[in-house]
Amino acid sequence: MNNPLVLYQVVAVLLLCLGLYALVARRTLIGMLIGVELMLNGAGLSIVAAAQLTPMDAVLGQLGALLVMGLAAAEATLVLAIVLVVSKRFGDAVSDGPSELKG
Amino acid sequence: MNEVYLGQCAFALYVLIILGGGVLAVTAANLVRAMLGLVVALFGVAGLYLLLLAEFVALMQILIYVGAVTVLIFFAIMLTRAADGAEAEGPGERGIMRAIPAFLVPAGILVPFLAVYGATGFPTPKNVSPDQLGAGLLGPYTLAFELISVVLLAAMAGAVLLAFEKRRAA
Repeated sequence: MNNPLVLYQVVAVLLLCLGLYALVARRTLIGMLIGVELMLNGAGLSIVAAAQLTPMDAVLGQLGALLVMGLAAAEATLVLAIVLVVSKRFGDAVSDGPSELKG
Repeated sequence: MNEVYLGQCAFALYVLIILGGGVLAVTAANLVRAMLGLVVALFGVAGLYLLLLAEFVALMQILIYVGAVTVLIFFAIMLTRAADGAEAEGPGERGIMRAIPAFLVPAGILVPFLAVYGATGFPTPKNVSPDQLGAGLLGPYTLAFELISVVLLAAMAGAVLLAFEKRRAA
């Protein structure tokens, strides 16, 4: 275990697994959002580790991680709005609430 | 040699922080506690960025995630919480049964793949100063910079639109 790149990527896989677990197991939309944030963090960590520890352009990797953070912020904003709408319309922000079509 | 051991100790410490925070974030019954676990895990990832000599990314991680995204999540929790906080339930039995294969399958594919085919990296990371990052943003990566600003604007406008539409209908 003297290969730091693989160690960082294993940590990224760990974050991915935690996020997937939360995404599937949680009933509330906010719990699922927390899982998505964990997964995006794992993606950013993997990008930065790959850029910093290989001959790849390090600027590209760090800017890619910043792009992921911006996308995560935009996604959290939209999810907040959706959670608000769902909780007003269905009284509760759980994922199996809005499962019926209007018809 | 001493620095190598210090780095390994710091790596182990940060991974422990991420693991503890992440497990709290995905298993806590109370959503506020789950968010607190997320904050701890985010700080751990920021520490790993520092170990990778990406100090600008580490600071942005704390500023954007811990400062902004967490506050958004907290707003969402507070705005949707029922009067008695009854919606704060942990994952149910069926959810856990479904979730275990959902994360074991990617882990079972990716970790052996990394162990066999994992690329050998440098032992120490490269150092990039923030002015090089700024030159990259204004030079070869201008398009991504402009696109993310458009995406953020669209997300903001969309959030306002969604929230307002409901209020008019109510």
